[in-house]
Amino acid sequence: MTQQSDILHYAVSVVGKDRPGIVAAITGGLFNLGCNIADSSCTMLAGEFAMILIVSLKRPFSKSRLIDELKPICDKLGMTLGVRTLHADEIARQETDSEICMISVYGADQPGIVYHVTKELAARSINITDLNTKLIGTAEEPVYVLMLEVALPEGESPEGIEQTLAALKKELKVEISVRIITPVAF
Amino acid sequence: MPVQPVLRYPHPILKKLCNRVEKIDQNIHRLIEDLVDTMHDGPGSVGVAASQIGVTLRVCVVDVSKNRHGKENNHGLLCMINPEITGRCGLATMREGCMSVPDYTGDVDRATEITLLFNDPDGTIQEITASRFEAVAIQHEMDHLDGVLFLDRVTSIKTGLFRRKSY
Repeated sequence: MTQQSDILHYAVSVVGKDRPGIVAAITGGLFNLGCNIADSSCTMLAGEFAMILIVSLKRPFSKSRLIDELKPICDKLGMTLGVRTLHADEIARQETDSEICMISVYGADQPGIVYHVTKELAARSINITDLNTKLIGTAEEPVYVLMLEVALPEGESPEGIEQTLAALKKELKVEISVRIITPVAF
Repeated sequence: MPVQPVLRYPHPILKKLCNRVEKIDQNIHRLIEDLVDTMHDGPGSVGVAASQIGVTLRVCVVDVSKNRHGKENNHGLLCMINPEITGRCGLATMREGCMSVPDYTGDVDRATEITLLFNDPDGTIQEITASRFEAVAIQHEMDHLDGVLFLDRVTSIKTGLFRRKSY
């Protein structure tokens, strides 16, 4: 069996104007290298397509070989490429039984919604595991929607978060609701 | 009766269509005991289908009475043979996971209220209406009888961020 130390991990990000064939082109390059896609999230943001992948390879390998393969592909597609070597301790995750909460924040668009909300969460050591934002509504009445998934530290509750954010809700005149979405195992 | 090991995908039995039980006998009673014991053994488990322990028969057990989502609204321990859903209404999304597909969870839409017919272990036909969490649990377990995993129904995915220790 392959030892964990024989495996190298890299974080790869690719961003550029959306069009059909981006994923096939990038993953084709990874396949040629014998790369595993261990974890990935790819999505369209406005007209841009953004890929974030954690890839793994057996030693011997180097970051430059990864870049040599992917850079020409990205250049051809007009996309930017980022590659970072991950250390073993960045790959290992702590097992926790945290409750997972979804926080919805929405209201009239204004500067600083994301900053003000996440600052309060950071101050209480609440870890964000997923976040997305969307500008909806009309040009006359733009509405900002912020959805966050967070892991609750020991002792925190959804009610506690709502209380923490109550002052902000008033100040920014936005709606904020918090609910538990911890997966149920059948 | 002993707790049985829970099969994990890609075990082929999990994708098999299970057969109707033609005769409720000692073997079926033993199977139900195994299912109940296996369910109680799984941490926080609220149901097990026969195919999950390697038996391709239309039998499953559900008990949400000890779960925080189901304790207020349930029928206690349900041992269902040849269950059939005869009516469904409402739709709600819940993030589900499954003992047969560890380290993975995803949002699944299911009916919030179902009416179902099944044979109990005595062979009597029962008709119940289950709602909310209990209804979701029954639909999840009954899917196993058709070889359907929650992965086949996911509307948005979320990997088990906190359960996986390493790649």
